Amino acid sequence: MSKKSHERSNRTSVSRRRFVAGASALAAAGSLGFPHVARADGHSVKIGLIHPVTGFLAFAGNQCRYGCQLAINDINAAGGVKSMGGAKLEAVLGDSQAKPQIGAAEVEKMNEAGVNAFSGCYQSSVGLAATAAAAKYNLPFSIDIGVSDRLVGRGLKNVFRMADGYGRIANDAAVNLGRINKAAGSPAKTVVVVHEESEYGSGTAKLMQELLPQQGFDVLETIKHANPTRNFDNIALRIKSMKPDVVMPINYPGEYVLLARTLKQQRIDFAASYSVLGGGFNFKFINDLPDVAEYMIDVNHWYNPKSEVAREMRGRVEADGKFFTFEVYLAYNSIRLLHDAFERAGSTDNDAVIAALESSTLDPLIMPYGPTKFVNGQNTGSRAVSIQALKGDVDIIYPTEFATAKPVFPRPRA
Amino acid sequence: MAVRTLLFLAALLVLALIAPLLIANRFLIDVLTLILFSAFLGQSWNILGGYAGQFSFGSVVFFGTGAYTSSILLMTFGIDAWIGAIAALFAGAAVGAFVGFLSFRYGLRGSYFALITLAFAEVFKVLANSVEFTGGGIGIFIEHEPGLARLQFDDPAGYYYIALALTVVSLAIAWWLERSRFGAYLKAIRENEDAAEALGVNAFRCKMYAIMISGAMGGVGGTFYAQKFLYIDPPIAYGVATSVEMLLVSIVGGMGTVFGPLVGSFVLHGVNEVTRHYIQTPGLSLIVYGLILIAIIGYLPNGLIGLFKGRARPKDAEDA
Repeated sequence: MSKKSHERSNRTSVSRRRFVAGASALAAAGSLGFPHVARADGHSVKIGLIHPVTGFLAFAGNQCRYGCQLAINDINAAGGVKSMGGAKLEAVLGDSQAKPQIGAAEVEKMNEAGVNAFSGCYQSSVGLAATAAAAKYNLPFSIDIGVSDRLVGRGLKNVFRMADGYGRIANDAAVNLGRINKAAGSPAKTVVVVHEESEYGSGTAKLMQELLPQQGFDVLETIKHANPTRNFDNIALRIKSMKPDVVMPINYPGEYVLLARTLKQQRIDFAASYSVLGGGFNFKFINDLPDVAEYMIDVNHWYNPKSEVAREMRGRVEADGKFFTFEVYLAYNSIRLLHDAFERAGSTDNDAVIAALESSTLDPLIMPYGPTKFVNGQNTGSRAVSIQALKGDVDIIYPTEFATAKPVFPRPRA
Repeated sequence: MAVRTLLFLAALLVLALIAPLLIANRFLIDVLTLILFSAFLGQSWNILGGYAGQFSFGSVVFFGTGAYTSSILLMTFGIDAWIGAIAALFAGAAVGAFVGFLSFRYGLRGSYFALITLAFAEVFKVLANSVEFTGGGIGIFIEHEPGLARLQFDDPAGYYYIALALTVVSLAIAWWLERSRFGAYLKAIRENEDAAEALGVNAFRCKMYAIMISGAMGGVGGTFYAQKFLYIDPPIAYGVATSVEMLLVSIVGGMGTVFGPLVGSFVLHGVNEVTRHYIQTPGLSLIVYGLILIAIIGYLPNGLIGLFKGRARPKDAEDA
């Protein structure tokens, strides 16, 4: 090395001592900065919220977070956990970034922060990793949204889910479609399923392939697409060439809306768009694209429009400038479920809270469910409903005890 | 290598070995595990991209193949994860040989090679999505049964030590490359492949060895991921994000250097964790992370390791 360059490098380089000192300081700062162990201190009960608030599921993730925080605020305003001397619920926020490893890392971080229970994770893949991580510490985990049946079917005692998984929802969807079709004189005979590629889409589509023929439908094709997919022209052309009576989308919000819009733009004619757990079927979609959404049917979690509490909550959410999507009220109920367990357990002892969750008989208030009854972590009192976009709003069309409108099936020709 | 340098590295290794005893915070142990794991994957990319100069955008294909190999062996045939890891090593090397043969045999270099590796990763993703034995789009769920045979641990320190061992092995491989004739061949190929061939270097064979070593390491990394997170599906196994992370830690740390991927991993993960911890506004932490990344890449073209290279003493330089 020349003298000149050696001098230059000496000016810009860092000595090993300085490097070690700096690294140690950084490590120390990091250690001090990260949360230390401090379980519920009698004044608060910490609930870890893990959702994809950044990334391609950010809208849904933020809706979930909003719903959880709304519930926490309501519960705290009503006196917190009364059996624990009015201990307040405290949210510890986490972002899974839609990645399983980050979701599991958030559990580790929150465990160190003294979290007493979790609510999350919107995606099944993240939920699978996060619940397994929480199981190591026996921390209660309430799945607010996550449709994989394996989330609750693998023997983890700490995991509970209030809403249905895709197994039962797929069955309800097929049966409901069969009944709606029969009531209309059986105009629909063929179905094309379009689904996203992860467990939610693939698993639900696989079930629909078995269930739809039992209801008299012929599944012409099952079309899988990647996440994210930003152009549905080719898929729309394939659908057009097959001329199905029913198109059945099973995908996440962005793809759901794009597919619906492409089908409309290409003027593809069919009797109904009948989605199962359609990620994008919500008030935002209906508000943004009313012409596209009109007459579309979805089978999904939905609030009970006959419930006074639910209507009041919808008003509050909309007054807050938010959309009253299913993420909001499922997340809201997830926190209510945990709060009820803490209330009955009277402590934050993990075993006591898990036992309280197992024996939960909570009135779901805003949902068209019966009281909660958990079997292997799954609430057997829950049920999905068939909903349809009608005149710029959403109506339940099946089952009849919660229905606010009759189904428009087949939809009017353009 | 100077005695002082060896002592420094030995001290670092001892510190790494006793870290779980010194750090009570399990989250920090988990973060260190992810850093070491990322460094290991980065090193697997570095051998092919950094030393041999063959930029791959699809190195995740080795990782995914390894993850699927051991997971299928475990869940379908009940073969424990250690044997699964060895199978994953060979599967990764085999995929490396397959991709390498088809690419190098037909003279694909530079951006063409990068794109073909990306395409291979996508093809494997589609295949994993389509066939039954991988679980299709549903993926493979691995049962949680903690134990050494299953490579599953309730204590994060278990994963930490496995990740540390993998990282030390990967550093040893890179160190060997720095000093071996084979490593010199790879560097010659990186600098000017035609000139290297003119001097008698069998470029095709050397690149094949490099991609097979890289593939073998990626395969073992896949097993580690599957056993730690207990679930894989095609987007996780063959998603482009892992490929990007592999090359990013190497580029930020310093390509073609022994410690580049480790330094890059420490900095990138450290910055990521700190920004995520202190910035709660959704997305803002990613923006800050991105800005720091731009600054590092913009002002340190030789990576962070480049900061220290200039101060090597003449004796160190001679040793090297």
